[in-house]
Amino acid sequence: MNVFPAAVLDAVSWVGERALSTRRHQKEATRSRVLDAARDLFDSVGYDETTVRAIARRAGVSVGSVFTTFAAKAEILSHVMQERLEDLYAELDRVAPNLRGSTADRLRSIFAIHYSFEARHTRLFLAHIAAAFDWSLHAAARPYGRTPRLREILRDCLADGRERGDVHPDVDLEQVIDLLMAAYAWTYRLAAWEKCDSGTMSAVMDQQIGLIAHGFAGPSPGRG
Amino acid sequence: MKPMTGPISAAAETQVKVPTRRAVAKQQTRQRVLAAARRLFSEQGYEGATIRDIASAAGMSTGAVFANFSDKADLFREIMIVDMGRLGERMREAAEPGGDPEEVLVRIFTAGYAFYQGQLPLARAAFSVGWSPDEGKVLRTEPATQVLRDIIKGALVDGVARGELIDDPQIELRGRMLYDCYLSNYIAAVFGGSTLEALHDKAREQIRILLASARRS
Repeated sequence: MNVFPAAVLDAVSWVGERALSTRRHQKEATRSRVLDAARDLFDSVGYDETTVRAIARRAGVSVGSVFTTFAAKAEILSHVMQERLEDLYAELDRVAPNLRGSTADRLRSIFAIHYSFEARHTRLFLAHIAAAFDWSLHAAARPYGRTPRLREILRDCLADGRERGDVHPDVDLEQVIDLLMAAYAWTYRLAAWEKCDSGTMSAVMDQQIGLIAHGFAGPSPGRG
Repeated sequence: MKPMTGPISAAAETQVKVPTRRAVAKQQTRQRVLAAARRLFSEQGYEGATIRDIASAAGMSTGAVFANFSDKADLFREIMIVDMGRLGERMREAAEPGGDPEEVLVRIFTAGYAFYQGQLPLARAAFSVGWSPDEGKVLRTEPATQVLRDIIKGALVDGVARGELIDDPQIELRGRMLYDCYLSNYIAAVFGGSTLEALHDKAREQIRILLASARRS
């Protein structure tokens, strides 16, 4: 039997909801503090060198509360990268409609924008790619290669090229995209090893795009 | 008195050929650690497998593991070098019959995917190491990795010799891009569950695209 009057029950549930929303609010605050701290440390110290303990210390939260929000360091990285990439994609959305020239040149512009955004974080980007293969990665995390946004941008650009007669209708666009993504990722590797700037990265990518562009211009006469 | 030189020199020769019991024991220990490590890297990934776990799976102390390998990266590299050696043999066999460079390259790539088909978790661990900023560079510059790249480049050089590809300064770039294309398809194998047949078709189209600029028109 219910011993509490309805009004009391309402009040209890109201307090309960409020507690819940406070908790949610706290969790959100922890999350953004952790991400801010992680971004700073990843940039200044490096991904491998940064421990979850160090992130917690800088964020002013306990190690335990970091782990109630994120399953692993790799997941924190994927969120840091996602936030950063959102700014990049916003920039690309502004630029994409104004791109002119051949499909190869448009692709060059798209990647040059990427490199000018990311050139200062090449090691972090490599860690981001490496983390895509990490076991501890949470299923909901969006590591490198599973972010569909860049693929969409490239697909639009190539489909556009196909309409303009720049890209041969028989060419499988998904394979072209895979090749561009492989070249894109490789350039980060080069940059991290050779410590080159965004201009050099773009120049290397331009060459690779040139080679791929021969392939999407039409079927080869060799085998047909 | 008979001269003693004969038997002594024979014994000395035997000693050179037969390793000491200690060397054999050390070799066996290494093999046990490598087998355990291979299994744990496949089950838990590179990050997840600790030296402590590997030692206990091999039935020995962490000290005994460290007596043979300087660290986890060293242990993993050793596994990779052994595998890449075998993989190189398969790829070379696949390349041997020769033919059109596109065909040869498709066979080389497919030999690689077939090799790793039964051990994709280990391939996945290899990629997580291969892309890490420091250890990746070490792995990439290993002679065993260089062999794989040379086999791919060899197919291009043969294509030029056969007159099917033009001799242009982009051969290095093309070879490197082919190698990276070969590697990047493991993403589809590991996460997309692509079959060997699907990988074969995918590789063929990609190889065709990458060779186009070297085709005689």
